[in-house]
Amino acid sequence: MKSLALLIALALLSPPALASDWTVDVPKSHLGFSGVQNGAPFQGRFDKWSAQIAFDPAHPDAGHAKVTIDLASARTGDSQRDSALTQAEWFDVKGFPQATFEATGFTAKGGDVYEAPGTLTIRGIGKTVVLPFTLAVNDDKASVKGHLALVRTGFGVGQGVWATGEWVALEVGVDVDLIATKSGS
Amino acid sequence: MRYHLVAIVRSRYDAVAIVRSRYDAVAIVRSRYDAVAIVRSRYDAVAITLHWVIALGILALIIMGLSMTHLGLAPLAKFQLYQLHKSIGITVLLAVLLRILWRLSHRPPPLPAMPPLEKAAAEGTHGLLYVLMLIIPLSGWALVSVSPFNLPTVLYGVVPWPHLPVFPDLANKAAVETVVKFIHGKLAWLLTAVILLHAAAALRHHFLLRDRILARMLPGRTAKEPRS
Repeated sequence: MKSLALLIALALLSPPALASDWTVDVPKSHLGFSGVQNGAPFQGRFDKWSAQIAFDPAHPDAGHAKVTIDLASARTGDSQRDSALTQAEWFDVKGFPQATFEATGFTAKGGDVYEAPGTLTIRGIGKTVVLPFTLAVNDDKASVKGHLALVRTGFGVGQGVWATGEWVALEVGVDVDLIATKSGS
Repeated sequence: MRYHLVAIVRSRYDAVAIVRSRYDAVAIVRSRYDAVAIVRSRYDAVAITLHWVIALGILALIIMGLSMTHLGLAPLAKFQLYQLHKSIGITVLLAVLLRILWRLSHRPPPLPAMPPLEKAAAEGTHGLLYVLMLIIPLSGWALVSVSPFNLPTVLYGVVPWPHLPVFPDLANKAAVETVVKFIHGKLAWLLTAVILLHAAAALRHHFLLRDRILARMLPGRTAKEPRS
């Protein structure tokens, strides 16, 4: 009991492991996705999204991140596909305008490699995913790169006739390429 | 278009004007009350342009429609062909609507003297062509609108085109799609047959009867009269 009390006292006295706050430079960053339609691969990106990140490389487990994505802003360079993506069969932006990714606690995997376990919510369906990423910090600038492989039907993306991989592959990728600036500590 | 008056022949009650235009055959125009009317013997440029735009469009649509459904194409090629078919189909629908408006507001050149039965056949064929040229693209549009794929239409990849109302909200879309697809396909075959009849009749007039029925719908230059 004595040691526990000491531990608590130490924890209270020591400078709080307050994670740094980072401001993501959205225009310089890239939040992309990829898929395969009729056998042809395509790339897309979300034009509107925001991220709140608290991360201290010294205490990755105390980190927290929340990314909010405006699904209607998905662009793939094909206006027909972009228009289809907003429909009820796909992102259903009327019913679910936003997707979110919320990670609490990062894991250092050695070197510049980390993992962000979190909850990805699309179309109201939340699933636990692990986003592996690399981190490069240069003074107060940080660069985060990560890739997540998903099965779209796990989130109900592609309803009815689209729920098979016949025309659009079930496997999709999410690409994260963030540039952030330390905004204070 | 210029018309040259060749002669006016007067009788006691009628005036008959014989006029000749630069490209056209001689037209003899009678007026009961001495006023001489000049009647075009050819379709005007707008009607001719629309006719041939629609003709080329329909030919392309029939070839594409058969290729899409019978050739077993690779998924991407098939998908792209469907999208182009939709774009050209809507283009033809708009051209047909213009053609009908133009036709209603611009009297077509009169037919030469011909047996009443042939005249009735020609008029019936034209009427059927117009009906099919409206129903087929509309049924195609309905087909896209009711399809469980719910694929948006973007004409030529540029202009967003809406679904028809009601169809996307039906409860039994797959069943309705089957029926509309059947209608669209069968009517396309009927249209193909009527077009062949229409073209065969035009060629008969041109090469066998040697009248100017076909020439009145040909673009200006090819219809130029031989110098005499």
